[in-house]
Amino acid sequence: MIERLAKYRWQYVMILPGAILLLLFSYIPMVGIQVAFKDFHIGSTMWSSEWVGLENFSFLQDEQFWIVVKNTIYIAILKFVFGFPAPIMLALLINEVKNNKYKRFVQSVSYLPHFFSWIVVAYILQSLLTLDGGLVNQLIEKFGGDSVFFLGSTEWFRPMIVVSGLWKEVGWNTILYLAAITTIDPQLYEAARVEGAGRLAQIRNITLPGIMPTISIVLILSMPGLIAVGMDQIYPLMNPANQPVADVLDTYILRNGLQQGYFGMATAVGLLSSVISLILVLCTNQMARKFNGEGLW
Amino acid sequence: MRSSVRERVGQTIIVFLLALLCISVIYPFLYMLAVSLNVGSDAAKGGVYLWPREFTLYNYEVVLGNSVIQHAYLITISRTIVGTFVGLLITLLAAYGLSYRSLPFRKSLLGYVLITMLFSGGLIPLYIQLHHLSLLNSFWVYIIPSAFSAWNMFVMMKFIQGIPEALIESAEIDGANPVRILFVIIMPLSKPMLAAIGLFTAVGHWNDWFSGAFYVSDQSLIPVQTFLQQLLSAQDISTVLGSNNNQEALARGTMLSNVTLMSIKMATVMVSALPILCVYPFLQKYFVKGVLIGSVKG
Repeated sequence: MIERLAKYRWQYVMILPGAILLLLFSYIPMVGIQVAFKDFHIGSTMWSSEWVGLENFSFLQDEQFWIVVKNTIYIAILKFVFGFPAPIMLALLINEVKNNKYKRFVQSVSYLPHFFSWIVVAYILQSLLTLDGGLVNQLIEKFGGDSVFFLGSTEWFRPMIVVSGLWKEVGWNTILYLAAITTIDPQLYEAARVEGAGRLAQIRNITLPGIMPTISIVLILSMPGLIAVGMDQIYPLMNPANQPVADVLDTYILRNGLQQGYFGMATAVGLLSSVISLILVLCTNQMARKFNGEGLW
Repeated sequence: MRSSVRERVGQTIIVFLLALLCISVIYPFLYMLAVSLNVGSDAAKGGVYLWPREFTLYNYEVVLGNSVIQHAYLITISRTIVGTFVGLLITLLAAYGLSYRSLPFRKSLLGYVLITMLFSGGLIPLYIQLHHLSLLNSFWVYIIPSAFSAWNMFVMMKFIQGIPEALIESAEIDGANPVRILFVIIMPLSKPMLAAIGLFTAVGHWNDWFSGAFYVSDQSLIPVQTFLQQLLSAQDISTVLGSNNNQEALARGTMLSNVTLMSIKMATVMVSALPILCVYPFLQKYFVKGVLIGSVKG
């Protein structure tokens, strides 16, 4: 055994830095979850602070917390309902374009927003929607309407999050579908045309079934990220005016933990959301086994 | 004949819809560009849609001349270069080591990596750990915690396993050790994968505002995106410019009254987005390849 280990000594040396980083930044924080049951203050260590039982879980009685849960679920569902089918439809549309140059142009342009940070997207929204000189409000006023404070309104917040999410990622998410479409046998389309199938019939009977495996994989892979509805997207756009609908689990943890120093309580909330996403991952893997005969691991 | 008319109508509708999508992507940038190139006080009156009405480069002079922004740029560029290099190296080393199918304890080691993808301690325990390691308020908080990516490691490992084993075996017979094999055989063959993953890592570093906002309180360490994040909700211009010699220059000049918060914001965000806009056309094929490599396992 020792001989075999020695034979692979270089491999172990190469794996070591990565393994140490995982230990430091993934495993020790997992042990750090005990802070959820402790009275922790910055300055003390997670070992030295005192156990307080379930005291940190008192947020469960906090009305605000349940609003946050509701917001999280609401936004997660909205983003999924609009965000999941959109790239499939876009891929089908792009695939129908006959001019190859135009096709490539559309693809390049639609991928672009994926490479900008959510901060840049927040600026784009601000520049278009703000009250003082924002483009959309200028147009509304021109046509005799009253300007709307989109960025600080509770009604417009969710549509704004959904639309900006679509705008940023829809093109990017078509890549896999478009790749899947190119692997479909062209003879199938020819045969269908001979039989007199129109474009729509071809899409329904050939293209869609052809990309079904890809659709199911993307569906499965999107499940675990479902409740991580994006501090990255929401935090920059959140302000006191829209907070009643904008506050989600991630921003709640951030505000109570890092900004106000309730480390124990914020860790407890984080623990809950980690457990929920773990359950989603495990269910997903079961689903994958059913669909594909093979799990993701 | 009839169906061909129908097809042409269909084509026109599709082309039109996709053109709308493209405009929705491109137009906001043109609009921000126009506002940033317009005299601020004039732009505030409205009516600048596509083309600056009173052209000026002054907004850019203020932004690029500001030492806070210059410093933030320096941080962003250094972390992108160092972070991408270190991240790729550490992830590649582990991927290569784990690609040996006959490695003793390979399964357990893969499990060790996989678990971190399924469950995490969450933000606060990570923050406490960064505090214990004295990484908070240090440049290295941008580099070290994210240097190993489990996801990229699996992608790289799959890719390396696709390289014919005969190549590696013949090198072993010639007496090359694994380190040599990695640098002489594996790396040249993995260029497309390294390019793609390297680009994703670099974009991730360029765009990250979170660690700058929460892991660092020293303003001299914040990257451009964090600066932008702070500026996003700023209410007056002094927040942007700070106590900076720029302000003196502004006070001296008569231009001060012509700069608005909005025009400065637009110029700043354009400055942060331009590098990506410029390299994008050249790197596009790698991006697409990267997604496809990443989805091999699916």
